Amino acid sequence: MDTARWERIQELFNAAVELPESARMSYVASSCGDDAELVAVVVSMLNEERTSGSVLDRDISAIANTILDDDTRLPPQTTFGPYRITSVLGSGGMGVVYLAERDDIGSRAAVKILRDAWLSPARRLRFSSEQRTLARLNHAAIARLYDAGTMTDGTPWFVMEYVDGKSLTEYCDAHRCTVRERLQLFRRACDAVLYAHSNAVIHRDLKPSNILVTKDGEIKLLDFGISKQMESSGDDSVRTLTALRLMTPAYAAPEQLRGRNIGVQTDVYSLGVILYELLAGELPFDLSRCTPAEAERTILDREPPRPSTRFRHTPRAGHAVTHASLTRGEWSDLDVLCLTAMHKDPEHRYRSVEALTRDVDNYLRGNPLDARPDSLRYVTAKFLRRNKRAASLAAVVLVLIGGVAAFYTLRLQRERSATLAEAARTQRVQSFMLNLFKGGDASTAPAESLTVLTLVDRGAREAAALSRDPLVQAELYATLGGIYQGLGEMNQADTLLSRALAARRRLLGDSSAGVAESMVALGMLRSDQARFDEAERLVRSGLAIDRRTLSAGHPAIAAATASLGQVLENRGSYPDAIKTLTEAVAMETAHGDTGVALNETLSELANTHFYLGHYATSDSINRRVLAMSTRLYGPSHPSVANDLINLGAIQFAWGHYEESEQYYRRALAINEAWYGSNNAEIASDLTMLARTLIADSRTDEASALLDRALATNERVYGMVHPRVASTLNEIGSVALRRKQYAKAATAFSRMLSIYRSVYGDKHYLIALATANLGSVYMSEGEYPRAEGLFRDAASRYAAAQGPDHINTGIALVKLGRCLLHEHRYADAEKESFAGYQILHKQIEPAGDFLRGALTDLIAANESLKQPQRAIRFKAELAQLPAEDEGKK
Amino acid sequence: MLTCSQSGLADWIDRALCLEASTYHCANSRQKPSSQAKTHETIGVTVSKPDAAESRAELDRLFSATYEELRRLASSVRRNDPGATLSPTTLVNEAWLKLARSPEMAQTSPLHFRRIAGRAMRQVLIEAARRRNATKRGPVHAMVTFDESLNTSVGCASELLMLDDSLNELAKLNPRQAAIVESKFFGGFDIPSIAASLDISEATVLRDWRAARAWLAHELRNGN
Repeated sequence: MDTARWERIQELFNAAVELPESARMSYVASSCGDDAELVAVVVSMLNEERTSGSVLDRDISAIANTILDDDTRLPPQTTFGPYRITSVLGSGGMGVVYLAERDDIGSRAAVKILRDAWLSPARRLRFSSEQRTLARLNHAAIARLYDAGTMTDGTPWFVMEYVDGKSLTEYCDAHRCTVRERLQLFRRACDAVLYAHSNAVIHRDLKPSNILVTKDGEIKLLDFGISKQMESSGDDSVRTLTALRLMTPAYAAPEQLRGRNIGVQTDVYSLGVILYELLAGELPFDLSRCTPAEAERTILDREPPRPSTRFRHTPRAGHAVTHASLTRGEWSDLDVLCLTAMHKDPEHRYRSVEALTRDVDNYLRGNPLDARPDSLRYVTAKFLRRNKRAASLAAVVLVLIGGVAAFYTLRLQRERSATLAEAARTQRVQSFMLNLFKGGDASTAPAESLTVLTLVDRGAREAAALSRDPLVQAELYATLGGIYQGLGEMNQADTLLSRALAARRRLLGDSSAGVAESMVALGMLRSDQARFDEAERLVRSGLAIDRRTLSAGHPAIAAATASLGQVLENRGSYPDAIKTLTEAVAMETAHGDTGVALNETLSELANTHFYLGHYATSDSINRRVLAMSTRLYGPSHPSVANDLINLGAIQFAWGHYEESEQYYRRALAINEAWYGSNNAEIASDLTMLARTLIADSRTDEASALLDRALATNERVYGMVHPRVASTLNEIGSVALRRKQYAKAATAFSRMLSIYRSVYGDKHYLIALATANLGSVYMSEGEYPRAEGLFRDAASRYAAAQGPDHINTGIALVKLGRCLLHEHRYADAEKESFAGYQILHKQIEPAGDFLRGALTDLIAANESLKQPQRAIRFKAELAQLPAEDEGKK
Repeated sequence: MLTCSQSGLADWIDRALCLEASTYHCANSRQKPSSQAKTHETIGVTVSKPDAAESRAELDRLFSATYEELRRLASSVRRNDPGATLSPTTLVNEAWLKLARSPEMAQTSPLHFRRIAGRAMRQVLIEAARRRNATKRGPVHAMVTFDESLNTSVGCASELLMLDDSLNELAKLNPRQAAIVESKFFGGFDIPSIAASLDISEATVLRDWRAARAWLAHELRNGN
């Protein structure tokens, strides 16, 4: 039948149906001519119109009631690989899960089949994404993927580990677990989530029924059905929306309900709700009688009652925790822990699952919570509880300040905490401190810089009042100074470290280990302040004292040697630095060092090789360091980020921008999670990343990153500092590429003057700034001015780095280009050729400049009417490897 | 079986796009993507995306979401209380309550939702009917236990499947009439709301429905 015929049928039907029944037949017969088929259809329809016998006339509800099932019966196919399904385990938003057995060895597994695979490609994608996620996660506490495939009709399935267990909450109630046992189980669940996070997977649907506990007490994390791969982009908004609809509202974070960005903090929120439920025996809100809209409003707008309050008011039958089993202080800690994890604003939650676990550990060990570091009274109370024998009030105050200080020291620069902890061992006050925070490894907590700063300020004020015991005071100044330095507060650090040194000199004599320690510490500060002469003098003096007074092989000697190596590296004396650092590595290796100091020294050694252009050596040392750091600190620690940055820099130097960008982004993610985004570390990461983007021609992105980095660096380091200069160099380069010449010239000029005042007149960085400034003028067509700068740069490079150094060659090539613009072909030919000869000899690639030199040489010789010579360069140009995509 | 429904869905989406056009212009002429898109914009009932491919993806997404939600609701009602009465109208209403708030449906009007819901409810019931039918005919494994309602439901299931086929046939002849049947029969919507959702008069809905119902009954009686 076609449309015209259907129109005709309806026409007849509609006309006939309006007639009295008796008249219908004759009307149809007369209207249809000899089309018997047409008559038959219309007559049949008219009959149907009068009666009601078809399925269309039945109540759809009745049909639905007989037809609709709970859709979990077995599928047509029952064997999947070696597994045969035997019963239904359950069904979720996406698929049905069946229990399957393996006949040959009798083991069991779970088979998940996508329901309604035909419905949309998005469903298939989601399903296969879960499968890929599982394949990627290999952790004892995450159900494993065994097998995957599709049924004959194209329906995808996969086989995964079958977990025979109870949900986390059920298990705890059934086993009448104590609060401590609950926390320990919870903590292990957190570990599994953390593992997923470190593999760039966010679960997004954490709830007790997805966290099973087996008979043996093993934790298994299930259902990554709506999990998100952090790096995946594309249709992510759609996925997020879809996930939102599929997830369980009671455990959903506010940002999930709002459809906003999802991050690791989203899982932190859900874990917070789970912990709440474990402790209080109830969910924070009773949503059972709410409409979905009410439930959503509740989660978005209402502050949850504290778990302790909710627990007291509505104890649930079967919940094994009794209120009296915890002290008020303990409840108060658990309240803070839960409510911090469940904060409505992700920014105020624990920054990572790691931070959450750390506080669970703090609670279990009776240590102060990170979540409430700003309450001095709290820390005191905590201390008093732990040290009931504390002798006098004075001692308590001292310990308190030392304690607070050390608490944060441990979270800051690892080498400083290591040095300080080492030195502290002999000191009464700080041994208390170590006791207080025993087991606090370097990966304790992210620094909430502002809060820490407030605390340290307070500590410094209190320390100033302790004139009664000047040695202890000096100790505290040393510690607090180190923290200030770690926080980038150079002036305060300077004041305190200088005071500590003076006090120790006065009290201990010039040749004491305490003085040596203070000198090295102050020297490292000077190095950070780019006052290298003083830095080197101080560290060398400290080292000399140590050598004189300590037995050979003392860790302090190795530490001071490493510090000296670092100062030499910072001031650009690379060959000396390599010698000294290698010495320190040997000493640290001989000590059987725990690895922290050795790791740090190796990293500096790798950096120094890098600065000398020994990229392959640097790369191999850095890879070793990365493995060490990951082992020492775990995968999400700033040390790991640091190593990644170094590896990224090497890839950048090799011109592998994609690899480089990947390393930098990994590092930035780690550091942002750790430090927050307004921190010197982040400024440096942003600069590096921007550099790669520039090389990759993504200048708009880069420019914005750099302005952010500059502002941060100026705030942290002051207006005159190499870090500021380095950022200015990037800003100038981007501006140049975007043809913003005024901005570029300003940036390079400022960079030049900073380097002059910091490094003096002979450093190669002066040449760098000069050459870059020259490039701006050349782009603007101010050739004579540019020429002068290039000549200056070339001779500076030659003096600082050698006449055959690649930088000298590049400066000469630039000079040649400039002369070419001035139509001074003979001069141009001379300089370009000199540059070309230098570049030609390099082992590391400098293809763009070499290509530039050859192009210029061809042009110059053609203008000079020397065709033979031009042809020679043409031939060489043709032999160069194809132009590198990223380099321009 | 599944391949058939897969193409069925694709057809439906094409038709749904075409329907927007055919409501105003010619019946049963496949519009070119660009003119479809224009019609979309001017009607402004559905998605305001200017691109036909996007509209289609949007529709696909809305449909999947609606289908899943209905399916989930039906399933959970059944699981929690096997004796509970399932009314498609209630399911559709509940699904709308849930979906209307989701950002996914932010661009969707209740009118547009109704059209999708009718189709989705049809799909939910047809899929269930297919499963019933399959268990009757398919290789019955000994360990599978069915509830007693199976036998009575099988008759009903095959009738529904026949209706589905005829409805597909009707959709080729006049997509709007098929949509009316979906809304009226499967979605349980009343005449005024169907008229509103298709932006046609109630009289037209009634006339279309009467003819469609009669023809479908005729087709069913004669075994398609």
